[in-house]
Amino acid sequence: MDRALYLAMSGGKQVMHAQTIRANNLANVNTTGFRADFEQARAMPVYGEHFASRVYAMTENPATRYEAGALIQTDRSLDVAMKSDGFIAVLDAQGAEAYTRSGDLQITANGQLVNGSGLPIMGARGPIFLPPINEISIGEDGTISIVPEGGTAAEMATIGQIKLVNPDTQLIEKGTDGLIRAKTGVPFEQNLTAQLKSGFLESSNVSAVEELTKIMSLSRQFEMNIKVMDTVRNNGNASARILQRNA
Amino acid sequence: MHPALWVSKTGLSAMDKQLSVISNNLANVSTTGFKKDRAVFEDLLYHTVQQPGGLQSQNTQLPSGLQMGAGVRVSATQKNFSEGDYNVTDRDLDVAIQGQGFFQVLMPDGNMGYTRDGQFQLNAEGSLVTSSGFLVEPQINIPQEAASVTIGDDGTVSIMRQGSAENENVGQLTLAGFINPEGLSSIGQNLFVETAASGAPIIDIPGTSALGNVRQNMVETSNVNAVEELVNLITAQRGYEMNSKVVSAADGMMSFVIQQL
Repeated sequence: MDRALYLAMSGGKQVMHAQTIRANNLANVNTTGFRADFEQARAMPVYGEHFASRVYAMTENPATRYEAGALIQTDRSLDVAMKSDGFIAVLDAQGAEAYTRSGDLQITANGQLVNGSGLPIMGARGPIFLPPINEISIGEDGTISIVPEGGTAAEMATIGQIKLVNPDTQLIEKGTDGLIRAKTGVPFEQNLTAQLKSGFLESSNVSAVEELTKIMSLSRQFEMNIKVMDTVRNNGNASARILQRNA
Repeated sequence: MHPALWVSKTGLSAMDKQLSVISNNLANVSTTGFKKDRAVFEDLLYHTVQQPGGLQSQNTQLPSGLQMGAGVRVSATQKNFSEGDYNVTDRDLDVAIQGQGFFQVLMPDGNMGYTRDGQFQLNAEGSLVTSSGFLVEPQINIPQEAASVTIGDDGTVSIMRQGSAENENVGQLTLAGFINPEGLSSIGQNLFVETAASGAPIIDIPGTSALGNVRQNMVETSNVNAVEELVNLITAQRGYEMNSKVVSAADGMMSFVIQQL
């Protein structure tokens, strides 16, 4: 029997991986600050002393799409969106620095500034803690100014700055928890030109039309692989019949 | 089975939750002192199928790996404590808070509840209660012979007795504030209760701190913006439809396999 069956099977299996990546993008079509993933297939030839027809497929996701999503106005002073390229620095579950575009900030019971997933926001000099406040405003460069509790607007004080970074997208990757990290593991320096906008959140950058189209085309691709498997089976049946007649 | 099925299932259930949050907001568009919620979406973990940098052969490396996301989840609902509009009602016992504070309410189980709904009433003993009949803390009693009740910006409650020209001080409303009001837990009846996330209440007299002033003859309306909710409704509904399209695409692939092989 021709081993082409296994080639078609590998094709179909890899298309299912690709389909999963696209489905994940679409599932996150409303996730604040989500960055869509790409998928691509690579030819993986098997070399050896045989006719060079064994080329298996392999799906991989070479990169994440870092272009900006749309800004959604929320009018909440603790909602921030990146206006320029770049990321907000947070601390991940292990306490290491990671980056995100999701800026739905909150203040915890002990006054720490965290994002919507509860990750501490990194300031220029470590995590940010706030005293009890009357009012808070976050400037375009991430500067946090507050009116302390019982104070008046004239007593506005600057108490910290959110660390913003703007690394080359070649140097970053998405981790298994969805946070962006430096490939080298060394935190990036604060970027003074990166800009925030308070009162806004950034939407997911998933293009729904593109993802749906891709899912349709992957479905057809999958069916073609199955069709090849069907053809291989028919070939097998035909040769079995011929051999029967000769018997 | 096809992993995309499970991934889009997470999308469907997240959009479904978003829809319940939106519909609850819209249902409370006229609830006094209501604070809107929003669903916080978060991507789930990623599953590494091939590690980037893995060896393809002894001398060659794979330049990129394969990571597949497992979908989305609603990690929290976040309350938005922005102030609603103020509605002048000209009723003596209607009080609105202009600031970040809450009225304190003694719940029947003896715990404290906190509310922004200042549509107070009197019970049979003349005590100030909420519309659910829970006592306002600190307790304030209005004598029966009071002709008029005045609540000052600083929360002082005074009455004028029939036939008297003197104002008589009968109590003091205080406000409670929280460092993280978004950490309060809503229990219905316009009440919130304290949690570990909200921190302990800071109690103060109105007009002296961030907790704000109280304003008599007014109520605070819901802070739900109907237009914003309807736009959210559209995105949630379309998100739902797209995810269900993925389910049917994955299903189509599987049924094709069954038919053809």
